[in-house]
Amino acid sequence: MTTLNVRDGAGPVAGPATAAAGAWSGPVLTAIARTVVALGRALLIAVPVLLVSTFITFMLGGLTKQDPASLVLGDSGTPADVARMREVFGLDKPLLLRYLLWLWRALHGDLGSSWFTKIPVAQSIAQRLPVSLSVAVGALLIAVVLGGVFGILAAVRQGGWLDRTVTVITSVLGTVPGFITAIALITVFSLFVPVLPSGGWVPPSAGLLKWTSFLLLPTVSLSLDAAADVARQLRTGMAGTLHENYIVGAQVRGLPGWRIVLTHALRNGAGPAVAVLGMHVPRLIGGAVIVETVFALPGIGSLTKDAALGGDVPVVQGALLVTIGLVLISSVLVNVLLVKLRPAARREI
Amino acid sequence: MKTITGALRTRAGLTAAIVLAAVLLLTVIGPLLAPYNPLKYSAEILQPPSAAHWFGTDYLGRDVLSRVLAGGPRSVFTAFEAVGIGLVMGVVPGITSVYLGRVYEWITLRVMDGLIALPFLIFAIAVAALLGNAVQQAMLAVGILLAPLFYRITRAAALSHANAQYVTASQLFGASVWLVLRTHVWSKILPTLVVTTANATANGLLIVSSLTFLGVGVVPPEPTWGGIIASDLSYLSQAPYGPVFPALLIMATVGALNLLADAIRDTSGDYGRARILRKRGARRVNLA
Repeated sequence: MTTLNVRDGAGPVAGPATAAAGAWSGPVLTAIARTVVALGRALLIAVPVLLVSTFITFMLGGLTKQDPASLVLGDSGTPADVARMREVFGLDKPLLLRYLLWLWRALHGDLGSSWFTKIPVAQSIAQRLPVSLSVAVGALLIAVVLGGVFGILAAVRQGGWLDRTVTVITSVLGTVPGFITAIALITVFSLFVPVLPSGGWVPPSAGLLKWTSFLLLPTVSLSLDAAADVARQLRTGMAGTLHENYIVGAQVRGLPGWRIVLTHALRNGAGPAVAVLGMHVPRLIGGAVIVETVFALPGIGSLTKDAALGGDVPVVQGALLVTIGLVLISSVLVNVLLVKLRPAARREI
Repeated sequence: MKTITGALRTRAGLTAAIVLAAVLLLTVIGPLLAPYNPLKYSAEILQPPSAAHWFGTDYLGRDVLSRVLAGGPRSVFTAFEAVGIGLVMGVVPGITSVYLGRVYEWITLRVMDGLIALPFLIFAIAVAALLGNAVQQAMLAVGILLAPLFYRITRAAALSHANAQYVTASQLFGASVWLVLRTHVWSKILPTLVVTTANATANGLLIVSSLTFLGVGVVPPEPTWGGIIASDLSYLSQAPYGPVFPALLIMATVGALNLLADAIRDTSGDYGRARILRKRGARRVNLA
């Protein structure tokens, strides 16, 4: 892929590629090519990760001592019945073959069906995905906004009362388990000042205001941990950046202060915060199980939990697979974003 | 050892160590101190804190203080178990990945990446539930998921020191790989490892309390810190102070671990030593 860049600088090279490149302006093409390369690299890394993590997930089913055939048939099944049932479930084939088959079908949207209810796993996940996604995306937005604002303010006012307050609050938030945050929010906003519902879920079609009111407490309680981490990393990153020579240079050139902070310092100091945000994404998706339980939300987390406690292996595997997929997609996006922010990060992926 | 004694000389480090020692002591001898039978019901349900019941009583009239004390070992030692598993499964491949060739390195890197992609809580719940609902199994899962954390930092440290010039020099003098590991690499990794272990233990405690809160890995009447919080959840409107004491205990322990980690990080390594020297009024030393 680097050939594109080389040709840009190397002058006329014979061939159709240069002719096509000539129609575009050089910098634009280079920028597009860079993004594509970054995306390609990130995807190349994601594929083995996907294989490893899905294999571990599939092995969960292999490790369980529960046999679906005897589970479904109960005590009344004869050995012949059990053997027939095992064939129906495909349990007579070797593990590796079953894994490849499962992955192949999963990539085509078929996750099998529940051992107990016979409902297709993909269908139950599709029902619950909007709930989990809206909570996770909402929490991500709140984390970015809260963490961003307070991180930047703390970095700009280094050593001031705001900086110290932010430091104390972020340290305390890091020690609070997610369910305690959730309980505290319910106690305050549903019991003492009953303005928000303490749990449950309505679809957005029931009215945006109502949807938001049900969504607000879960998203806030899920986001606080990530927001604290983002604020802390952003403060550290930007505090260092603000002392760099090019910041002084920008001040000498007479640029307005907010522009120096928001464009020059933020771009170079945001790397650690973005990386930390990327590490929080699995927790926002997977850790939502706590929030979903406390607020009685019908999301993927509670689906996985209930299925796991009931021993419903296909549902657990399918839900984990979808979660892993979401995590990988977001980590690819974060890596591309990091490269865009700071080209030197390409070497660190 | 030097890494820890240095941290104890700072005020934050000492406070954290005292809190942790108190929690550990309570965990070890706490079950013996419990004033009531932690499983015994009584008619005095949902009592506020009083002289007879310091932490109040829960919805079945059980003494919360006794339950918190009895639940200590389950809540704290399980976290240690997970961190121990993670430490071994992360540090060993982390160091060996630098020495055992590129194929091995590539495989460990990809496996660790795969582990990072697994959603922590859900995976732990799935393992605990599918392998028979027991907290030991859950800790195996949590330990495996903590491994990448240790893998990354030991690998980074081993990588940066394995190729340092003084290591090459000692190898030229005939030092074996084992000697280099033991004397040079290990002493450089140790402070980072201690910091990460403290942070991971804090994380482990949070995860254990979350799992027990969800009712995964424990059989109901048995008290755990997370489980005590969950049991009174439906009675928040009558007794909003119910979850306060176990929650404070969890937060104090986690906070102390994080504080200790920060203190160790600040006092070990070049940066920390320079800062301490400056604080004592010594001349600034150029350690670069």
